[in-house]
Amino acid sequence: MKVLCFSSFTFSYLNRARVLYQTLRKFHPDWELAALITDRPPLGFHFDAAREPFDRVVWAEDLGIEAFPGWLFKHDVVEACTAVKGPFLHQACASGADIVIYLDPDTALFAPLDPLIERLRTAEIALTPHLLDPNTDRAAILDHDLSASRTGIFNLGFVAVRATGEGARFAAWWNDRLLDYCYDDIPMGLFVDQRWCDHVPALFSHVDIIRDPGFNVASWNLSQRRLAIDGQGAILVNGSPLRFWHFTKLGPTGDVMTKRYAGDNYPVYEIWRWYKDQVTAATDPSIPTRYWAYDQFSDGTPIARAHRLVYRERPDLQAAFPDPFDARPGGFRSWLAREGLIDGEVG
Amino acid sequence: MADEASLDHVYRILSTAFDATFYRLVYPDIAQAGIEPLRHYADAGWREGRDPTAWFSTRAYRDANPDLGEVDPFHHYLTAGWREGRSPEPSVHGAPYLWRQADAGHATDWGFDRPRTRPPSPPRPPVPGPGPDAARALVEPEFDTDFYLWANRDIAELGIEPLNHFLHTGWREGRDPRRDFSVSDYLELNPDVAAVGMNPFVHWLLAGRAEGRVAGYDLGFRYQVLQRLEPMADRLALAAERAAKVRTKPANILVEALAGRRSAAGDLHITFSHDDYTTNVGGVQLCIQREAAAMAALGRDHLHLHPPSHWPIVRGSGDVAALGVVWNGKPIGAFPAVDLIAALKPGPAKARRGFAIHNLLGHAPDEVIAILGAAGMGAGHIWLHDFTSLCAGYHLMRNEVADCGAPPPDSPACGLCVYGPYRAAQVAAHARLFEALDLTVVAPSRSTYELWRARTTAPADQPHLIAPLARLVPREATATPARQGPLRVAFLGMPSPHKGWPAFRDLAERFEDDPRYEFLHLASAPVKGIRFAFHKVAVTAKRPRAMLDALETLGIDVAILWSLCRETFSFTVHEVAAAGVAILTRPDSGNIAAFTDEGGHGRVLSGEDELFGLFERGEVLALSRAIRQPAHFDLAYSALTVDLLEGA
Repeated sequence: MKVLCFSSFTFSYLNRARVLYQTLRKFHPDWELAALITDRPPLGFHFDAAREPFDRVVWAEDLGIEAFPGWLFKHDVVEACTAVKGPFLHQACASGADIVIYLDPDTALFAPLDPLIERLRTAEIALTPHLLDPNTDRAAILDHDLSASRTGIFNLGFVAVRATGEGARFAAWWNDRLLDYCYDDIPMGLFVDQRWCDHVPALFSHVDIIRDPGFNVASWNLSQRRLAIDGQGAILVNGSPLRFWHFTKLGPTGDVMTKRYAGDNYPVYEIWRWYKDQVTAATDPSIPTRYWAYDQFSDGTPIARAHRLVYRERPDLQAAFPDPFDARPGGFRSWLAREGLIDGEVG
Repeated sequence: MADEASLDHVYRILSTAFDATFYRLVYPDIAQAGIEPLRHYADAGWREGRDPTAWFSTRAYRDANPDLGEVDPFHHYLTAGWREGRSPEPSVHGAPYLWRQADAGHATDWGFDRPRTRPPSPPRPPVPGPGPDAARALVEPEFDTDFYLWANRDIAELGIEPLNHFLHTGWREGRDPRRDFSVSDYLELNPDVAAVGMNPFVHWLLAGRAEGRVAGYDLGFRYQVLQRLEPMADRLALAAERAAKVRTKPANILVEALAGRRSAAGDLHITFSHDDYTTNVGGVQLCIQREAAAMAALGRDHLHLHPPSHWPIVRGSGDVAALGVVWNGKPIGAFPAVDLIAALKPGPAKARRGFAIHNLLGHAPDEVIAILGAAGMGAGHIWLHDFTSLCAGYHLMRNEVADCGAPPPDSPACGLCVYGPYRAAQVAAHARLFEALDLTVVAPSRSTYELWRARTTAPADQPHLIAPLARLVPREATATPARQGPLRVAFLGMPSPHKGWPAFRDLAERFEDDPRYEFLHLASAPVKGIRFAFHKVAVTAKRPRAMLDALETLGIDVAILWSLCRETFSFTVHEVAAAGVAILTRPDSGNIAAFTDEGGHGRVLSGEDELFGLFERGEVLALSRAIRQPAHFDLAYSALTVDLLEGA
């Protein structure tokens, strides 16, 4: 079985991605590991893909997305890194792999994913729900159950497909949807790629909803998952081996949610302590915090979300300015200035 | 197993950094009274909040480290705090003192930064929520005045009205209105409340409680331990830094010292451990003291080798460091290993020679082999005082929070542990010793040997012995009148999480008003912030029976020996049993559980739930002395390796 596993990230998430790929290499040295990067290396940082813990890099601009600069401009960093998952998965299904797996860069493996491969002998699409057990505590219902209702039943930090049949059909559908509708627009019924997948059990067959609590453990399901470490050194989640953890929101916000729901279940803090150490060790200080090459015009002016929204909603602007990043006079930046939406030369 | 530091030992440590001139100048009452400054500081000064030197504020250190309890902050900093990454603050008298010294022509090569001027604070915005009278009316019936005064001694001392203080400034300073409400947790959990700047307790009473908001986290003590866990890389960097500062002495001093022999026949015993047993205090050190004394009685020379500064794991061959040398009980300095190898000679054919590796921490295996080779030794003993030979975390406490039992090194648990990356080297170092030397493994208890045997990579036929460090000897009970009253339940020694203090503290707090029980802490120093009784007991080399005597005198019925890690040998459990006290312990406390179970000295419980249930239902009352009528014993201590020598 030829397995291709990929993650999608920018250089500011390279540290987390390195940790993920190190764990993938450890447990699955035979898998092909691809890094899908929607970014360009920062000045002062020498990016040597050969020294990274993945086998190859795919740049988002090389995915063949039509009118790429304009398409990219319509997305903020989270939307962009999510949207490119669709085209990659679709193309990967035709690359010769039998199974294609996506994992968010802030996940890490703690045991082999062999049971997943086993499941994909019969299933063709595998998804992990945010919640496996309903919450009963009011605060947890507000934080998790209702949040999942808004943002999607399944967590798309993970998805795995067979490269043929329903898996390939899902990938083609997801590609189409994400190219046009991968936005953080909850009132519209969109939360990047996630809300789309609420449709998956209805639109596709051979869907495996993984109910193994060892998959995709995160702060949003800790209220119903209890960690334990046994005498043989196995890490168990509600009695099942921990496969992978989703370290969402590394920092104070994530810490508060973890503490709130893990309580005195101390192995959770052992896992976080380990992860923070790994990320620190994998951090290159020459990459500026929150760096993203596409968060500014070519003259260095920061791009505000409002600039992206106006461009996204106006086909006339998209037609007039096919490369909206270009800050030369007469470009989109000048238009924004003329409209009083940005400081600077009106051009 | 650790002994308490003797006063002489405390003086010796303090004297390395104490500034007597500073103390005299800053506290003229001491100079006028003609009291020796160091002695005054150690005996009373620190309790009075006096500072020992310009760079150390006793009060600031104590305030910054509320977990320390009632110990001298300076002594703590010098012996442990610096290693744990705790930082001192300069004395408020420090800068004026240095300036005064400089004015008098006594220049120092260090000083303080200029005091930073703080910008004036903007006026406080009004507090949202109910007005002062309404807030007071709301809080008053829910406020625990006794708790507030107990938790905030400064308020009690100043005589401030507690509720007023809490409502005006206390909550802003993070002081809690009662035991089960945490101001800081509530603000962290509820950023909406923090954002509006409202008194969190008022918010909780007014709305939060009804909305299902929790009054604080319930994280358990292990969370705090993990927060303080120091990365091994930092510990090793610090160890390397300290090792680099060690000054070695010339080889001729070593040669001259070794020439001063006890044994004309060339009889020699070499021991290896992690430190100098003559200047450090602890269980292993006491053991080596006993072994050294017995060797002296046999007329054999004794060479003890140790890393001159603390080194937390086995040393790799690339980590060059000197060796500290103690010759016949006298420390003679640090020397490069090559000098030691050159100075040692094989003895005469009939010379009785042997060695004991008490601990390999800070030693490099090839160096040990070369040293023993130079002294003509191949056969000796390796003691399992701890599990250094199984893992760099020699207590087998994964991330210092849970007993791990040394699972397979490639297990997920080892992958999570701070010691995981260092385990293979530690095991390989010992494997090298087992391969090169004729070693007999000596375990101080059977449970220790059994775990070691199950997990070691040493050959299956590696010779071994089980040699307890002390044993019970029957004696007549001293006639003490039968005591009436509540069951006396004690915790003994250092109040550390490893030893299970948090479980005892929680138990004592839960049942503090229960007339059936009385809780006591027996140790050399009290803990800040506990409400049950403390009895000072200092076990020293001169008073080894101090704990045993105290247990009998106080008529303690039950001791909670709730060690979280596997004790290889527990002197405490032996003392407790000797004094006729019943033991309650956990299943994986190693020698404690095994000894308790085998000798019928108490009960091995499944965990904290069972412990609390026993007290709740009153079943523990069956363990009172009056009901058990226990036997009493004395303790006979072993002479360790000397007891194992043929014909010794």
